[in-house]
Formats: sequence, structure tokens, C-alpha cells
Amino acid sequence: MSSISELYDVTWEEMRDKLRKWREENYRNSEQIVDVGEELINEHASKLGDDIWIIYEQVMIAALDCSRDDLAWSCLQELKRQFPDSHRVKRLAGMRLEALERYEDANKLYDSILQDDPTNTAARKRKISILRAQGKSSEAIRELNEYLEQFVGDQEAWHELSELYINEHDYAKAAFCLEELMMTNPHNHLYCEQYAEVKYTQGGLENLELARKYFAQALKLNNRNMRALFGLYMSASHIAASPKVSAKVKKDNVKYAAWAASQISRAYQMAGRGKKENKCSVKAVEEMLESMQITMS
Amino acid sequence: MSEVELSCLAYAKMYLHASQFPRCSVNGLLLSSSPAGGTICITDCVPLLHSHLSLAPITQLALTQVDVWCSQTQQRIVGYYQANACVSDSSPTPCALKIAEKIFEQCNNAVLLMIDGEKMFPGCRAPPIVMYERKDARWALKDKHTIMLRQWEETCSIVNQLFSSGDQALLVDFDSHLDDITKDWTNQKLNAKIMELVSPANGNV
Repeated sequence: MSSISELYDVTWEEMRDKLRKWREENYRNSEQIVDVGEELINEHASKLGDDIWIIYEQVMIAALDCSRDDLAWSCLQELKRQFPDSHRVKRLAGMRLEALERYEDANKLYDSILQDDPTNTAARKRKISILRAQGKSSEAIRELNEYLEQFVGDQEAWHELSELYINEHDYAKAAFCLEELMMTNPHNHLYCEQYAEVKYTQGGLENLELARKYFAQALKLNNRNMRALFGLYMSASHIAASPKVSAKVKKDNVKYAAWAASQISRAYQMAGRGKKENKCSVKAVEEMLESMQITMS
Repeated sequence: MSEVELSCLAYAKMYLHASQFPRCSVNGLLLSSSPAGGTICITDCVPLLHSHLSLAPITQLALTQVDVWCSQTQQRIVGYYQANACVSDSSPTPCALKIAEKIFEQCNNAVLLMIDGEKMFPGCRAPPIVMYERKDARWALKDKHTIMLRQWEETCSIVNQLFSSGDQALLVDFDSHLDDITKDWTNQKLNAKIMELVSPANGNV
């Protein structure tokens, strides 16, 4: 079986840089990380210098994701040897226990970290992840809310909480979490778009109008966000079709919907250029836009 | 109690969909190209989402687009499938029941299929699926004997072949299509690959 470097014609430096990119941008492409990382560790460990420790950590977590306990164990051993009393390494040991579904043992480990250092956010978040893995959503939600009272700036936690609320169909609370995220990340089009989706799901004229506004905002921030474009089309169409709106509101929304529809058609035409297989979806979109138009008038 | 036949193509794509997103709940629609009445033949499926399954806009959009595509290709939507992120829990979620209800409004022998994650490992003898049908105003478990998977062994080997050749990465769901609209959610390329692997002796598999 040929190596990654042979297969993709890359040097060890390029492999190391790729790992760094994936680390910094928080990618979860675990199989790739395992392939690249394992080879880097086995063939080029001596060249990596101090980078090797963070690579061991990254590869270990990816290995757990791929059920490669052999690889995870060997990475963990190297880290334990180098950093014998580290809480960070202890947390990795806990994650391995979680991967083996030994949740009680994992919890004991995290509790011992928290006894030593009650402000250790990583251990607290792992405990919440265990609740999630066990399907204990309401407890996870409660713990996460308590956590956020103390660590109100933790974006990752706010996002996790919004996901939990969405799964529980508690859209009002999910919207609240997304509002927090939009406040601290005003340029993030994804949060705007997710917020709009939640509002749309809640339904009712007021929420639809908010949804439309936030879909539009998401598009302003990223004019290639197709979900936002479709969302804008659908919310404007629904508002225009509502018997409760004034003639002016109806007219405005018909305009917004028409604009969105033309953008959608344009995007699909550009995407479909030269590709035979895309004719299916292009046609489907055209017909869909047409069918939705009928319900609007 | 009507019989349901699940084709290799439909099964393979559902399985691939669930495998592509092991940490997410995934869902999709079950299609039939056979006329209504008698045995329900699930001949194909369209993988839909792997995030925010319960949010309305994208689901509505996907349902409308698949509907339109079905009328263009003489297919009908006859069911819904879902695989929960939490492997130990394969019971239908409120969102699954809601969508299944909608499909039932148009198709009176619609099925709801939940993928049982715990049975998705190589060498598992039983198909990792649990099917529900509409009975007495609720969704009840379907009798296993009314569910047919033709050439089960061959279907399993086809799925394995797709994994070993790396072709499982060809699968595009509606979510991925929205991330990059040049990707084809009808999966023509993957369909062709799967049909190549299905032996010609199988006729309507």
C-alpha cells in the first residue's frame, strides 16, 4: 500500500502544514488526519521538533473518531511520557474512555481534573458531551446553561446549546442563543442564516418577516449562501401570499421574491453550464419556482 | 398489510448516506417508479439532510424540489428514512413523524424507515432497518415478514465494494448540494455505478 507522500506527491513539510491548517480551522476530517498524521509520526518524527506534541494530540483525537484505538493509545502514551502531570493530557485520556463508552471512568477522570482546577472549561465541556452521547438532552441543556452563566463568552458553548434546543424543538431558546452569537459575530453569515431558519420554523407573520430580514442580512454578508437565497425567496413568497398583509407589504414582498427567484435561476444556470447531469436539478428548480409562484398569487 | 420491497439501489444509498455522516442525524425520501397499488416497491431514494433536520425552510425546499423531479421522472414519494445521530436510539423523532405524515397525505401506504445504527457493522446478518406503517391513526411497527430485500447477500457485497473502491464518497445529499450547487442530489453518477454492480440477472432490483 503506497504512502500518502507517494500517492499525492507531497513532501513531509506539506503534510505538516496541511495538518496545521486543519488544526487551525477546526476541520473534523478525521480519516485524512489519521492517514497523513500517522505517516508523519512514523516516518518523520525527528524532523517535526516541538510540533510533534500538538500533532500527537490532533492525531489522537482523529484516531478516536475512526475507532483506531491502537493509534490513539500510542499517541497518548507519548504525550503521557512527555507531560506526566498535565490536565490537558488527562482530558485526552478521558476522551479515549468516552470513545470506549466507559463513561463512568471518563467522568471520574474529569471530576479529578475539576477538583484540582475548578475553572477547567475543557473538563466541564467533556462532561456535558458525555450527557449528550448518552441521550440525556435535558441534563445536557441544564449543565450547559449553568456553564454559560460562568463563561458567557464561550462561542462554542452557545452554538452547542442552540443545536440542543433545535433538536428539542425549543425554537425560542435556540433563537436566543443565536442572537448571542450574532451579537458577538456580526459578520458571520451562517449565524444570521441559522437564526432566520429558526424564525421561519417558528412561523407566523412576524417571525416570517424577521426571517426574511435575516436571510437578506446573511446574503449581504455572503452573496453565495444558497440557503439564505432560497430562504429569502420562500419567506417573501409566504408573506406576499398572506391575507393579513397590506397591499404595500404584499407588493414589496413580491418584489423581493422575484429578485430572489432571478438570482436563484442565474446561480443554477451558471452551475449547470456544460454539465449534463445538472440539467435535472436546473429544471427542477425552474419548475419549483414556477409552482411556488402560483400559490403566491 | 401490504408488502414492501426495498431495492438494492435504495438500500445502498441510504446506507452510504448514514455512513457519510456518522455524527449527524440524516434523513431522506424513499421513491418508487412502480405504479400505485399492491406491493410497494421502493426503487430509489434521495438523501436529504445531515443538519438541522427539524428546521422548516430547507426541508420544505427539498420536498418541493424532489416532488417536481419525481413528476418529471415518473416516480412517486412513498416513504421517508432517518438515521439518528445517537446510535442506541432508533426510534422515530417528532420531526420524522411529521414528515412521514405529510407523505402519507399523498400516499396512503407510505412507510417510515428508521436505520438502526447498532446493526451497521461489517458482517451483520440482519438488515439494519426498522419499518413503520400507518395503522389506526398512528405509526406502527411493520411485520418483518412483509419487508422484502431481494438478494440481501448481493446487496451487502455491493455496499462493501462501493466502500473499497471509494465510490461511497460520490454520494451527494441535498444539504451538500446547497453548499455547492454543481453537485447533483439526484446522484446520477452513483446510481450508474451501483446499477453496474447489480448483476443483470436481477431484473428489477
